[in-house]
Amino acid sequence: MDTTRRGLLLSGLALTGGVALGAPALLGQTKPRVVVIGGGAGGATAARYIAKDSNGAIAVTLVEENEVYQTCFHSNLYVGGFKSFDDISHRYDALAKNHGVTLARARATAIDREKKEVVLSTGARLPYDRLVVSPGIDLKYDSVPGWSKEAEEAMPHGWKPGRQTRLIREKLDAVPDGGLIVMIAPPNPYRCPPGPYERASMFAHALKKAGKTAARIVILDPKESFSKQGTFQAAWEQHYGTMIEWLGPKIHDGIKSVDPKTGTVVTGFETYRNAAFVNVIPAQMAGEIARSAGLAPAGGYCAIEAASMRSTVDPNIYVLGDACIAGDMPKSAFSANSQAKVAAMTIRGELAGARTFPARYTNTCWSLVETDDTIKVGGRYEAKDGKITAIDTFVSKPGETAELRKENQAENVGWYAGITADMFG
Amino acid sequence: MAAAAETTGWMAFVAVSLAVSGQPASAAGDRALGEYLSSECATCHQTSGRQAGGVPAIIGHPAEQFVALMESYKQRYRENEVMRTIAARLSEEEIAALAAYYGSLTPKP
Repeated sequence: MDTTRRGLLLSGLALTGGVALGAPALLGQTKPRVVVIGGGAGGATAARYIAKDSNGAIAVTLVEENEVYQTCFHSNLYVGGFKSFDDISHRYDALAKNHGVTLARARATAIDREKKEVVLSTGARLPYDRLVVSPGIDLKYDSVPGWSKEAEEAMPHGWKPGRQTRLIREKLDAVPDGGLIVMIAPPNPYRCPPGPYERASMFAHALKKAGKTAARIVILDPKESFSKQGTFQAAWEQHYGTMIEWLGPKIHDGIKSVDPKTGTVVTGFETYRNAAFVNVIPAQMAGEIARSAGLAPAGGYCAIEAASMRSTVDPNIYVLGDACIAGDMPKSAFSANSQAKVAAMTIRGELAGARTFPARYTNTCWSLVETDDTIKVGGRYEAKDGKITAIDTFVSKPGETAELRKENQAENVGWYAGITADMFG
Repeated sequence: MAAAAETTGWMAFVAVSLAVSGQPASAAGDRALGEYLSSECATCHQTSGRQAGGVPAIIGHPAEQFVALMESYKQRYRENEVMRTIAARLSEEEIAALAAYYGSLTPKP
């Protein structure tokens, strides 16, 4: 922090030519300050675009606990054996080196909205003129009876990247031929709507490749339907026969309990015993820092203004990505990246007088179902009718040509290279 | 056959865009608007100009070719739902702005 302050003072001195030497408090005000909480698709993109496009006119600090970030997007490709752990790991160094972003390696523990300061786990306080909050999700550990924080080792969720992603892969690798995998899918709204179903596809792919074709995957879903459902199910049948079985709430009649010690899952319809691997993906909510700061007064997620991503609770704060309520946009890395650019433009307009334009948002979610068979869903969105509203949407259909699906996968690979360069480059 | 049809459509669009504006789009394009709009492209297309996977390079096309390409997605002559959806919402002025912005960048090695 010392270096930053000195940097601020020095640049202030250079600008004012020493006239204001006796007024250091005033010097600190010469450069507007933006603090960004969270170095994911929303936060890293916002930090990069504000710093890059303001050419040093705005001091940007990114608060992120981890030195290395594993993307949740494409973590299913790691689970399926298409990518290595290194392939989904990224560092923040280039944000500092190329764009002058100050990296604060700490956890944000509180937001003092009155004083406009972020309190860090190190005890430091970071003052801000505008704050970007992009903490992602927290899990509702009490949403599945019998499951808990302690049970996330025995029945991993794999819905936050890092160690949990590796656990999913380890449990999958240990499933014997003829073994049973039970996946409990989450209720809406949650991070990455097609994610559970892409993951089930990757389970089947890995099992099939290992010759364990007698293994079974049962998905117990609290939802009546899911993203790209018809297309997923047609592709499952084509590639994996009867390996994947999806059961909606009308069939399983609710998840009554799980027992992490015995691998038992009890539903209103059936009891699954001795499952080789139970993947519990629970209900979700905005990351703790956003909720404790009062940015989600109704609980769950944070309301924003559709034209700017500004919090409806505090005009100095912007909430991005999975933590916010983004109308028709799904909770995805692509969405968070798109929202970050609208917030970055608005903040540069407010703090540096930059030109602003009407907000536009885009999203596409690609899902790999089997080698060279990728399906997608996406759309364009605008601020309309008091929310972020879909203007155009598209979705892959069952029965498309193998050539088109292969092109989709090439696009998926290119997108990953593009968005990670756009976040960390 | 499909390739031939696409080429015909492509050439027609180059001709149309030149006829409408009477000059390459870069002369008229608002670069600042283009820079803002380009942030939408940068989620998939590398700002360095590199091609990655199935996502082609976006830098290094002459302005009239850039405009014709975007028009071909907008008019749904070319396949690809992502690009069709993006292009559908772009006005002529915005496409010209993007052409001006990308035309001003040099691909990095």
